[in-house]
Amino acid sequence: MNIYTYILRRLLYIFPVIIGVSFLIFILFNVVCPDPTLIMLGKHATPEQMAMLRTELGLDRPLWVQYFDILKSAFTFDFGRSWNTKQEIFQMIKNGAIPSLTFTVPGFIFSTITSLSIAVVVAFYRGKFLDKFFVVICVSMMSISSLAYILFFQWFFAYKLGMFEISGYEDGFPYFIPYVILPIIIWIILSLGYDLRFYRTVMLDEIYQDYVRTARAKGLSERVILFKHVLKNAMIPVITYVVIQIPYLILGALLIENFFGIPGLGSLVVDAINSNDFGVLKAMSILTSLAFIFFNLLSDVLYTMVDPRVRLK
Amino acid sequence: MSDKILEVKDLKVEFKTDNGIVTAVNGVNIEVYKGKTLGIVGESGSGKSVTALSIMGLIPSPPGNVAGGEIIYRGKNVLDIPTDEMRTIRGNKIAMIFQEPMTSLNPVFTVGNQIEEVLALHQKELTKQDRKDKVIEMLSLVGIPSPEKRANEYPHQLSGGMRQRVMIAISLACRPDILIADEPTTALDVTIQAQILELMKKLQEEIGMGIIFITHDLGVVAEMCDDVAVMYCGQIVERADVKTLFNRSRHPYTKGLIESIPSFDSTLGETRERLPTIEGMVPSLQNLPTGCNFQDRCDFATDICKGQNGDPLLEKYGSDEHMIRCFNPLS
Repeated sequence: MNIYTYILRRLLYIFPVIIGVSFLIFILFNVVCPDPTLIMLGKHATPEQMAMLRTELGLDRPLWVQYFDILKSAFTFDFGRSWNTKQEIFQMIKNGAIPSLTFTVPGFIFSTITSLSIAVVVAFYRGKFLDKFFVVICVSMMSISSLAYILFFQWFFAYKLGMFEISGYEDGFPYFIPYVILPIIIWIILSLGYDLRFYRTVMLDEIYQDYVRTARAKGLSERVILFKHVLKNAMIPVITYVVIQIPYLILGALLIENFFGIPGLGSLVVDAINSNDFGVLKAMSILTSLAFIFFNLLSDVLYTMVDPRVRLK
Repeated sequence: MSDKILEVKDLKVEFKTDNGIVTAVNGVNIEVYKGKTLGIVGESGSGKSVTALSIMGLIPSPPGNVAGGEIIYRGKNVLDIPTDEMRTIRGNKIAMIFQEPMTSLNPVFTVGNQIEEVLALHQKELTKQDRKDKVIEMLSLVGIPSPEKRANEYPHQLSGGMRQRVMIAISLACRPDILIADEPTTALDVTIQAQILELMKKLQEEIGMGIIFITHDLGVVAEMCDDVAVMYCGQIVERADVKTLFNRSRHPYTKGLIESIPSFDSTLGETRERLPTIEGMVPSLQNLPTGCNFQDRCDFATDICKGQNGDPLLEKYGSDEHMIRCFNPLS
């Protein structure tokens, strides 16, 4: 089986998954969920008002039509208008995605590169002082609450030293930069501990494999063994770990966005929950699922490029 | 005697563990001659592999540490050679193959690539095309059919026997002086085992390297080796040429090992006897008895074996080449 057949087959698997996911979302939002009109209009609403709103939101149509709407929106990205602001939902999401990405993407790239490089070095010095030092650093970074970082950084760097903006956002490059530097740093700190520990474990798993002993017996230097033999094998778990994180980048970071006043997707979701905006929540659920399906597929395809064993199975 | 290429003198290897220092190899002396095969036999944990890894300079350190002795290769003590220089010997002049052919090759590189790597490392004068040709030559030398095609395959596409052939191709690519084979056939089934042994013998005749053959299978020793060293608890307990060892072994442990080889007629005969075994367990290396290490399992042990006159020494017995470490040798 060549790689194109493999990709095609994996693409075909997507359809049942999308049907299943959209069905689950439909059950959650359109069947199990208590009457949204009651929540939106309050307990003093008259039956006529409720009926009118229901027609407006399309909730009076047969259930299978409503399900088909959801399924269709997974392909057309037409999610209708917000129940709250009456804006087009897809436009809202598009506007929210950019501020989120401006701090998550640099944070993600930087923390992945840094932690991978440190992991290789630490694997080289396994069991020695440097290794133990970084393990301690990792655990302490993971142990401190993200709130502590956010509040301390805002107080110290932004308020005391006045180096960056405390909160807020401005559209367009380069105006957003002063607003996103602190969020980027905090994102890196928050992910570095987890990333480094994971990559270190992956590297150490590989370093004790038999093929490494063979490589040593060939007379290769530790550096070549590490960067050629070990790293290529370690890429297999690393790819999954990295690619599966990408959907979270689009989603933004709830706490960071809230504290720094960044109008990203995290804020959008929080606002939608607060205002019972089920239209936005439904759209976000569908898009998130799609993102996960897509990046899962991507990681599977990337596997076949680093691991020759995958293609045959 | 013919050319001596390697001599291990009083080798002592220690490992640091949570329960203190363990001496895995304690005063081992062996010699390897050009074109000859030395067998090292022993149970798991008797120090066979550790001896082999010390010759390669591959004892993981920490926790391991060569605490004493010398390994003389062509007049030089391998233990004193700096790491960089050792790398030019390892895989080039002294090569090694391992027990686990299934996992010893790197799964993400083609077998051709893995053979080529060792050539690129040690024979820098070869061009890329030379190396490619040499890879094919090595693959056909170790008896792999359609080598051009196989060179581009990955290890998982080959069977265990084929992978061990590839390992042999890697180890012999630079025509080494010494090949250390650490239980190369243990993980293979019997017919493949015979083929691999046959192949190793054939290649030894062609290349003329000395082989250190580590195994726990005395049947394989009888077939492969010229000289044999029997190890027990990190020490050599008996050393002889292969004929002497099988016909006139003097150490009770060796005798026990030989008697516990299943033989064909004992199971076919009218009186089916139980296969003799060596009773008891190998003592823990952290808790060795004083005197002879084998005393608890030995049928011939007397008071002298408990160490009142010190530990037994490896001494000549009869002919020059036959050495045993025993207070009460069998007659």
